[in-house]
Amino acid sequence: MFRTALLRTAVSASRVAARPVARRAIMSARAVVAPAPRLAAFKSVRMYSAASGLKKEEVEGRIMGILQGFDKVNDPSNIKPSAHFSNDLGLDSLDTVEVVMAIEEEFSIEIPDKDADGIHSVGQAVEYILSQPDAN
Amino acid sequence: MSALNPELRRQVIAIYKELLNLGRDYPQGFAYFRPRLHKAFMGNAHLRDEEAIRSAIRRADFVKKEIEALYYLKRYRTLRKRYDGV
Repeated sequence: MFRTALLRTAVSASRVAARPVARRAIMSARAVVAPAPRLAAFKSVRMYSAASGLKKEEVEGRIMGILQGFDKVNDPSNIKPSAHFSNDLGLDSLDTVEVVMAIEEEFSIEIPDKDADGIHSVGQAVEYILSQPDAN
Repeated sequence: MSALNPELRRQVIAIYKELLNLGRDYPQGFAYFRPRLHKAFMGNAHLRDEEAIRSAIRRADFVKKEIEALYYLKRYRTLRKRYDGV
C-alpha cells in the first residue's frame, strides 16, 4: 500500500518534471522543421504495449505500404483506399491470398479462411483490421 | 467460381499458403520461387472436374514433401562438407 502510493507520487512528480522539458523540445522542433515531416516522425513510433490504438489512416497507410512493396500491382498510382484488388490493381485470386498473408504478418494477427475470403479491397481489409481488437 | 466446391477451394488456398511459406528458404531465393509457384497454380486454374482438382492438390502435396526433402538434403550436404571437406 505504502509502496504503491510512493510509486504513484514518484511517477506524477517525474511527469511534472519531464513535461516542461518535452514541451519545450517540441516547440523548438516546430520552429526548426516543417510540420509534415515532424508528424511523420511521430507516427513512426509504435506503442506496442498500448491497447489497440489503431487509427483508420494509419491502418490504411500500412496496408497501402504493403501493396506498394508488392511487385504484381499493375500501377502503383492505382493504390488508393478505395481500390479493389482484382478490378483496380490487376491482382488475381492467388495474389489476393498473398496480400492477405502479408497483412496478417504486418498486423501480427491470424485471419481465418472464411474472413480472408471476404477481403477483396483495401477498404474491406482496413475495416477488418479495425474490427480486430488484437491487431497491432 | 461459385460452381466450385468451396471445400476444394479452401484446400487449394491452404496448400498454396503452405508452399509459399516453405518457399521463403528456397535455395535460389524467394523471388525465383514465387512466380513459378504462381504460374503452376494459375496453370491449373481452368480445372473444373473435382477429381482433377483433387489430383492436382495431391501433386501439390507431393511437391511440398519434395521441397522439405530438398531442405533436409541441403542441410545434410552442408554439414557433411564442413565435417569431411568432401
